[in-house]
Amino acid sequence: MRARAWFGLTLGLLAAACLRAAEDRTRHDLDVGHAHSAALSVDVGGGLAAVRALTDQRVRLWLSAPSIEVTLTTQRALDLTFAVENAMPALVLTRLDTAVSVPPVSGEDATKKEWALALPVGSTRVRLAAPEAATNGPFRFALLSDVQEAIDRVQDIFTLVNAEPGLSFLLGAGDLTDEGEHDELERFQTELASLHVPYYTTLGNHELGSEAVPAYQDWFGRCNFQFVHRGVYFTFLDTASATIDEAAYAWLDTWLARGQGSVHVALMHIPPFDPVGTRNAAFASRGEAATLVGKLARAGVDLALYGHIHSYYSFENGGIPSFISGGGGAHPERADDIGRHFMVFEIDPDRGVVSSRVVRVDRRDEDD
Amino acid sequence: MAFRQRTSTRTARTGRPEGAPQSRVLACRALRSLAVGLALALAAQPSHAAEAGESKASAASEPVPPPEPDRRLALGAAFVPGVAVHGSGHYVLGQRRTASWLFLTEAVGAGLVVGGVTTLFASGNSRNLAAFGEGAIVLGAALVVGSFGADVYGVAATDQPAVQARSRATPWYESELGYRYVADPHFAYAHFLVERVTLRGGHLRFEPSAWFDAGQHNVRYRLEGAYRFIGPLPHETAKYEEHLELVLGAMHQRYLPEQFRRSGGEVALAARFDFGRFGDTLRGSFMELGAGYAVAQIRYDLDGIRVPSLRDDVLLATVGLGVTLRGEARPGSEVRVYYDHRHDDYAGGFLLPGRISGVFGKFGADFRWFFGGHAGVRVQVEGSSAVVAGASLLFRDTLPSAMVSPP
Repeated sequence: MRARAWFGLTLGLLAAACLRAAEDRTRHDLDVGHAHSAALSVDVGGGLAAVRALTDQRVRLWLSAPSIEVTLTTQRALDLTFAVENAMPALVLTRLDTAVSVPPVSGEDATKKEWALALPVGSTRVRLAAPEAATNGPFRFALLSDVQEAIDRVQDIFTLVNAEPGLSFLLGAGDLTDEGEHDELERFQTELASLHVPYYTTLGNHELGSEAVPAYQDWFGRCNFQFVHRGVYFTFLDTASATIDEAAYAWLDTWLARGQGSVHVALMHIPPFDPVGTRNAAFASRGEAATLVGKLARAGVDLALYGHIHSYYSFENGGIPSFISGGGGAHPERADDIGRHFMVFEIDPDRGVVSSRVVRVDRRDEDD
Repeated sequence: MAFRQRTSTRTARTGRPEGAPQSRVLACRALRSLAVGLALALAAQPSHAAEAGESKASAASEPVPPPEPDRRLALGAAFVPGVAVHGSGHYVLGQRRTASWLFLTEAVGAGLVVGGVTTLFASGNSRNLAAFGEGAIVLGAALVVGSFGADVYGVAATDQPAVQARSRATPWYESELGYRYVADPHFAYAHFLVERVTLRGGHLRFEPSAWFDAGQHNVRYRLEGAYRFIGPLPHETAKYEEHLELVLGAMHQRYLPEQFRRSGGEVALAARFDFGRFGDTLRGSFMELGAGYAVAQIRYDLDGIRVPSLRDDVLLATVGLGVTLRGEARPGSEVRVYYDHRHDDYAGGFLLPGRISGVFGKFGADFRWFFGGHAGVRVQVEGSSAVVAGASLLFRDTLPSAMVSPP
């Protein structure tokens, strides 16, 4: 009897585990960017925007990429206010049915735009892109992760990001918030209003609340996605549960194949391997971690960016230059002599990663 | 006689006033155990000579268990307030020295957990201190859980003398042949043939093992050598079910479809502690602790692509709680639940829906039942990033000189 009790206890414990911890989020990724009102439906290509508000008169999107295509389908002619947030400052809306660019009616904020669209019955496709997005050429971007409870001080960092010349956008590797609650996510988006460039991010483990589908996806959109900017591929992966879901691996295979032969940046929150392996701030399974690194290496990924560890590490994963940058201000790793920081990268679709640089926030010297 | 004497002493000491509410008595006992537990524990240094005498007396006589109402009361106390004050069950049972040791074990464990958490928090999970912090938490949690489990076991079990009378001979040879099913959504492998041989000579143990995937997707070879500092050797038997070993291991694993190999070595200290040292009521229960370090190199064999190998370090920390089986089960039969912090096995770290997914290692249960002097079966279940479950046939041989039961 005792033996059975011990085994029962163990089996109960095992039942609490789940082999696909990120399954619900991955499934919900497919719903992101698709919504409908009484007379209007919105479909964002690749799910690269979250539909933040939708009525028959107005749609508001939070963009996850520099360029997106949106299909608007209506059963009756509508006059629609089409608003986007987290946009490239030079974003242009082009109606693909007429190939005509529509001037914005409002664009007072660098990353917020608004257009008035007269929609006929049926489907109307529009493209939102900055003029330079489709042309190959070098550009710069920054990386900032793990802000969490340091949200009150994040404007210090945004001020320095805004001071960086020529940045196209800021990337995030998760842990924007401490608990992932709606009010925290709203606060983060409010703080982002002062940023002069858009912020494209995936989620971290601190965005995982008690719900299987986190509030994050309502506010920031997909957890797994890919976009292309100026010939460079950016792939964002959801590793917030220390694993990648099987469905996301299937997408990854497609995205890696697309980016083969091009400069490719992979970005995720929890790194496959912690440079300090005994600490294990990494994937739950070292076997899965090695498999992922093998996939990225085989596809010729040029740069891997991670968060989660509240410090700065530069290393190689399977020959891929890799950086952990968790300098947003969340409870920092002590005695690492780094403190709050963000990183700036220069990238060239023909030459790869040209340079990387750490910008310290509290100590204003910089490391190449 | 020892059981009889202690029981009567306890009854005399308890001196419960007639008509006093049972809950009030329980509360009083809980408060008293809280207040004096640590002091008693510190004062009650175990005397090996006295223990030996007690054990001989226990083995030689038929103990009389406490009356059932008292045992039920003790079992209740093992949970309330025992879930917070470990040893409460034994305190109610009158086994105050055992109760003190269990409380002290809990206190040390809680101290280690607090120390580990404080280390991690204060250092921001520093690269220099994280392993120590995590190790302290695992060890501390094991002591906390172990002392609670031992308290419940000690007041619930009534056949400890049956354990004492059993041989604890260490086999010089043991082999295992079995099957394991591995459910891991990330890998195609599932069905494994498992082989292991354990050879012991003097203080040394030599243990090659292998896992072969039936679909030829994966294979793992492991070679383990150990030196036993403490514990019975193959020609010996022992009073307690315990040991301390230095373990050296080497491993090579091939992931064929994924095109990489993992090879490495490890060093660890592995110990088993017999809770019977805390008192006769705990005979037949034990705790296992292990700590060490592993390092591995991951080499890729990608088609036509040269990829530098990776180095991977792993913190080894294992804890287990077990019970020796008796009755129809032959000596060597036991059931054990365990936690293994390593994340590089077929079952990796524990996946959870929330934010701490992957932090913990794997949990498992291991059931060994010998139905004869030589043959037995093993059933094992592990859960984490994968579920591993299966059964094996065991065969062992013990030197004749070690087959005599301990005095």
